[in-house]
Amino acid sequence: MAHQILRSSRIASSTRVAQRSSRVHAVSVRCAAAPADVMLEVKDLTASIAGTHTPILKGVNLTIRNGEVHAIMGKNGSGKSTLSKVLVGHPDYEVTGGTAVFKGKNLFEMEPEERSHAGLFLSFQTPIEVPGVSNVDFLRMACNSRRKALGHPELDPLEFYAYIMPKLEMLNMDPTFLNRNVNEGFSGGEKKRNEILQLAVLEADMAILDEIDSGLDIDALRDVAKAVNQLRSDDTGVLMVTHYKRLLDYIKPDFVHIMQAGEIVKTGDMSLVDQLEAGGYATL
Amino acid sequence: MQASTSLGSACRTQLAGKRVVSGHRYPNARIALKPAKSGAVASAVVAEDKWLARTVKEVATPSSLAALREQSKSALATLRMPTTRNEDYRFTDIAPLLRTNVQPAAAGAAVPSELLAAHELPGAAARLVVVDGVLRPELSSGLSGLPAGTYVGPLAGAPEAVKQKLGSLSNSRGGPFAVLNGSLVPEVLVVAVPAERQLEGPLFVLHLASGATGADEVAANAPRLLLHAGTGSSAELVEEYVALPGGRRYLTVAVGELFLEAAASVRHSYVQREGEGSFHFKSTLVHQAERSQYTLAEASVGGAIARHDLVIQQGGPETHTQMSHFLLCGPSQTHDLHSRLTLDHPHGTANQLHKCIVSHASGRGVFDGNVKVNRLAQKTDAGQLSRNLLLVPLATVNVKPNLQIIADDVKCTHGCAVSDLRDDELFYFRARGISAESARQALVFSFGAEVIQRMGHPVLQKRVQDDVSRTLLSAEPFAASA
Repeated sequence: MAHQILRSSRIASSTRVAQRSSRVHAVSVRCAAAPADVMLEVKDLTASIAGTHTPILKGVNLTIRNGEVHAIMGKNGSGKSTLSKVLVGHPDYEVTGGTAVFKGKNLFEMEPEERSHAGLFLSFQTPIEVPGVSNVDFLRMACNSRRKALGHPELDPLEFYAYIMPKLEMLNMDPTFLNRNVNEGFSGGEKKRNEILQLAVLEADMAILDEIDSGLDIDALRDVAKAVNQLRSDDTGVLMVTHYKRLLDYIKPDFVHIMQAGEIVKTGDMSLVDQLEAGGYATL
Repeated sequence: MQASTSLGSACRTQLAGKRVVSGHRYPNARIALKPAKSGAVASAVVAEDKWLARTVKEVATPSSLAALREQSKSALATLRMPTTRNEDYRFTDIAPLLRTNVQPAAAGAAVPSELLAAHELPGAAARLVVVDGVLRPELSSGLSGLPAGTYVGPLAGAPEAVKQKLGSLSNSRGGPFAVLNGSLVPEVLVVAVPAERQLEGPLFVLHLASGATGADEVAANAPRLLLHAGTGSSAELVEEYVALPGGRRYLTVAVGELFLEAAASVRHSYVQREGEGSFHFKSTLVHQAERSQYTLAEASVGGAIARHDLVIQQGGPETHTQMSHFLLCGPSQTHDLHSRLTLDHPHGTANQLHKCIVSHASGRGVFDGNVKVNRLAQKTDAGQLSRNLLLVPLATVNVKPNLQIIADDVKCTHGCAVSDLRDDELFYFRARGISAESARQALVFSFGAEVIQRMGHPVLQKRVQDDVSRTLLSAEPFAASA
């Protein structure tokens, strides 16, 4: 069932991060004992572009349990990004059928901000720039909105600094980041890092990372992946959308899904990725 | 030679129920309202225009101003105040002003110290307090600390060469309100920066206006500025217009003439925060010599009817002009920007960003931005963008960004967007748990910030942003999104 735990202990979970390499194995063991709670369950989801009614998703099924990392791969136009946007309620798409249950609640009955309050987070592929609004104000606004929704007291600017400083440190980010305007003049890497900072600030339970590897050089990718790994725990879920194996080398998925023409056509583990790298989508 | 004229215009007019009028019926028609240049007519001449005849009173004329006054009065004699039948004033109805009587402001108005304290500009080289058009040295500061050779003060003591320039731009290219200023101006503030002098810190001119007491009267506030930046010099000018306490019933009719010599650089910030219900008409006339650089950032948020006539002439090659404007039209506010930039020489650059928010059904924004690239202005790089936000049904903007290109080897772009906030912007906030209404407020705020931030000076920015917040709050609550 829905659990709203404050996971302040998560930050100190370096031991868990160290155990990630044997993740796949661990999952199978745990499944045999007592399966973890289901975080997100998507059933027969169909969706189309709002206005034109062009169908994009044609029956997606996906179950993500607490602690699991899933990756979705697929060609351009297969519906990967659409799936991630539909889950957070992007107005460009309309759900035409199926269900999505997040921590026991029907996602499609919730407004985008309510989904965020419930702990669902999407890292945008191309985050927008907001001149005139400083990053720290934006983060505090977001943080306090969720705290309010959860019945926690809001943080004043000073308290918020105390709250965010350790997170910046953990993500190895420069505090001057806070005083810049939201994404204005940020490099590709900085924008992605800023998204992960938002993820850390919101302490979301389920992170959907839409191509966080696009436009990143090797160092930036490593930093972003490291940050994501640090934010993982047994209570959170991660859904990555990517084209490339290199991200999955850094953030090891428990499950890999292949998406084609709006459906998940194959599910497996990392070996599926190796197969893809070797022979492309045609070999699947 | 390669002709690369690209003219990309994206006009999005949308949102049912919002009135959007873009473009004039006769895009190139201009009604001439130039003052007659006779100058020989005696000052006793009575204006033909009824309002002018009724309202323009005899004002004391210092001897240094005699020539300007004479020229203006003779022009006034045949001047008619514009109506909406004049192309240049088609969307800016000044009828409410023409129902008033203009009275000279009483001399020596008291200025509360709290008002001065609330209008500081940290880092300014000098603060010049101009009350009803008259420089008040006892309220000003930093005048004595200016570097040698820099003149800041009344016209009478200014360098002779600079004095000569008075009126040379406004007489030929100023509109009716520039003529009115010439008839009413009590004193001219002169800023003369000698060649190669880099002035540190901005010169901050704080314009204060007192109001009239009679029901159908408005007090005249006719300040005038003459700036001369010598060859290779640089200076920053910050102008802020505010009301004295209780000042509602007044008319500001301001003129600024700016002369930039070769390779001079002038940064100009102009903040119009006039009192509620007041009238504000400003003419800024700029002449740029070769390789000079003029950067203007403007915020117009106060007053009832406000208009800025901005006329810039690039007088030499490799000259750079940058203009950014932010106008906010709240309840019963009309804000008009008419800009005319003429490029006559090669390798000039020009960039204009106009942003306008109309937050109330009774608000109106007007923009006519003309950039003229003449035959000799080859290799010009000019860009012009107008973005307009209409926040409520019936909010109105009349926008006409226009390029006239005669040269054939130039790069020019212009665009115009009239819209509500973008859905993807709103969604970014909502996806982070921020309510649609808070998101709208933050985004509206951010819309103007792009221009306001170009002024620098956080204290000044805050004054403008506070006004913006007040106007947005006073308007009816934001229409519910989606």
